[in-house]
Amino acid sequence: MATRSALRPLLRPRKLQCLSAQTSRYFSHSIRRAESPSQQPATNNNGRTTHFGFETIAEAEKEAKVAGVFDNVAASYDTMNDFMSLGIHRLWKDHFVRSINPGLSTTTSSSDGWTMLDIAGGTGDIAFRLLDHATQINNSPASTITVSDINPHMLAEGKKRSLATSYANSPRLSWLVANAEKLDTIPSNSIDLYTVAFGIRNFTNKDVALREAYRVLKPGGVFACLEFSGVKNPLLDAIYKRWSFGAIPLLGQLVAGDRESYQYLVESIEQFPKQEQFRDMIKEAGFVVPGKGWEDLTFGVAAIHKGVKPVDKV
Amino acid sequence: MATKTRILLAPRKLRLPSSSRTYYSHNHPPPPGPFNPVESTILSASAPHIPTHGFTLTTLSLGAKDAGYIDASTNLFPRGAFALVQWHLYTQRMALQKQRGIISPAVREGERAPGVGTKVKMLTWERLMGNRDVVHRWQEALALMALPSNIPPSLRELGALSDEIWYLSGDTSVDSSWYTKRASLSSIYAASELFMTTDKTDGYKETRAFMERRFGDVQAVGGAVGSLGQWVGFNARAGLNVLRSKGARI
Repeated sequence: MATRSALRPLLRPRKLQCLSAQTSRYFSHSIRRAESPSQQPATNNNGRTTHFGFETIAEAEKEAKVAGVFDNVAASYDTMNDFMSLGIHRLWKDHFVRSINPGLSTTTSSSDGWTMLDIAGGTGDIAFRLLDHATQINNSPASTITVSDINPHMLAEGKKRSLATSYANSPRLSWLVANAEKLDTIPSNSIDLYTVAFGIRNFTNKDVALREAYRVLKPGGVFACLEFSGVKNPLLDAIYKRWSFGAIPLLGQLVAGDRESYQYLVESIEQFPKQEQFRDMIKEAGFVVPGKGWEDLTFGVAAIHKGVKPVDKV
Repeated sequence: MATKTRILLAPRKLRLPSSSRTYYSHNHPPPPGPFNPVESTILSASAPHIPTHGFTLTTLSLGAKDAGYIDASTNLFPRGAFALVQWHLYTQRMALQKQRGIISPAVREGERAPGVGTKVKMLTWERLMGNRDVVHRWQEALALMALPSNIPPSLRELGALSDEIWYLSGDTSVDSSWYTKRASLSSIYAASELFMTTDKTDGYKETRAFMERRFGDVQAVGGAVGSLGQWVGFNARAGLNVLRSKGARI
């Protein structure tokens, strides 16, 4: 599948020709856009606008646009992740799950496992890892997970993939198509662990989603987020920016046959609040953050943010 | 534009340099401890479980449950069980301030008030006794402290402890002995603590004797170094004067 999509441009030489003229222009274009990301927000009739990459669009449009992006990339999602991060995203995800240590229990009876919710977890990457860790490391076969995604295409991809795991058709794994800002079907104070890996960036209202996370979590429950963030070292940052704005859209074009979606991806990474700012957003939603509030991965290309819902809100 | 002006006009909160200060001052509030209120709640609930379950994640999650939290809340402690060690070190260090009987003893007439050295010895012993309840588990704590990523905070805590003991004993030195005093006390304390983990005698008599011997050693070495310095200084000056008497322009 991947080879076919990689070959696709080669199979259509005429289209490639007319694209290649554009490609160079795209490259310089994206660099220029990277240097001046702060455009004046265009005033909308309704007033409420949000970011879609570097573009400013009406809030109502964002959901549909993001859906479009993920409809396009669903099938080649993992192949592309491997190409873009040089495979490092697997290490990040493993570390993320290990640091959460899901399924930890002091009671000897294995009756009460963790109730987990993986938001924007379409392809099940994080969910399978969480279940594996709970079962194999912490001997907690009672831990369950709900994988939620706004995009049915991504969920379908995850369901397909779950067939290869031992969790296929097991009651430990359930699927839910829902908007993370409105988790109506999930009762308040019912979740031990809420994870969102590389998803919150695409939410229209991040603060609303954080408050919703606060609502569904049990007192003492954990909000854990793995997301792209900011590289502090200016030299490394320059290299990273070259890679993300130069190479990733090109890879998207070659491997997934879709440049625009990956142009959006790198722009949305750039727009996402940096470590301190996002930490403060988590605090604002009512969470207590451990230590300084985040852990940098690979010099800050990605970061793990955590928050715990306090028992008595101070 | 309007918001910008408002921000500029808003009175800035007066910020006390509480956490960035590296020295002690009576005139400022003490720097905040390393734990926030929620973490303190869980850790203080965990402490009673240490003698049975040791410095482990089990203790931490039992404590979390006692405090009304859940197993998942242990995510508040990214260093895991090491938070328990830090909590123990921190609370025991802070407990020394309550030893009023040692710090400012009531002196009867005709008696000499105990000197700084005596107070240091007594406070060090009190601190060692603070480990009494967990000493059979202390080797776990030492192992955690020796993990490369945990070494810097552990050493900082050791330094803070010896500084606390010297400060509470009334040490006011402002010369280079400030450093040597703290360094030597740190080494004495660390050695005695390690000794104590294998001491089975009643009332830790062996540990007490060990500690006394270490203090004696430091005094002897300190005295020898001082005498040597005096001797070198005297001879250097004498040599200089001999050269001057021979007509050297020095």
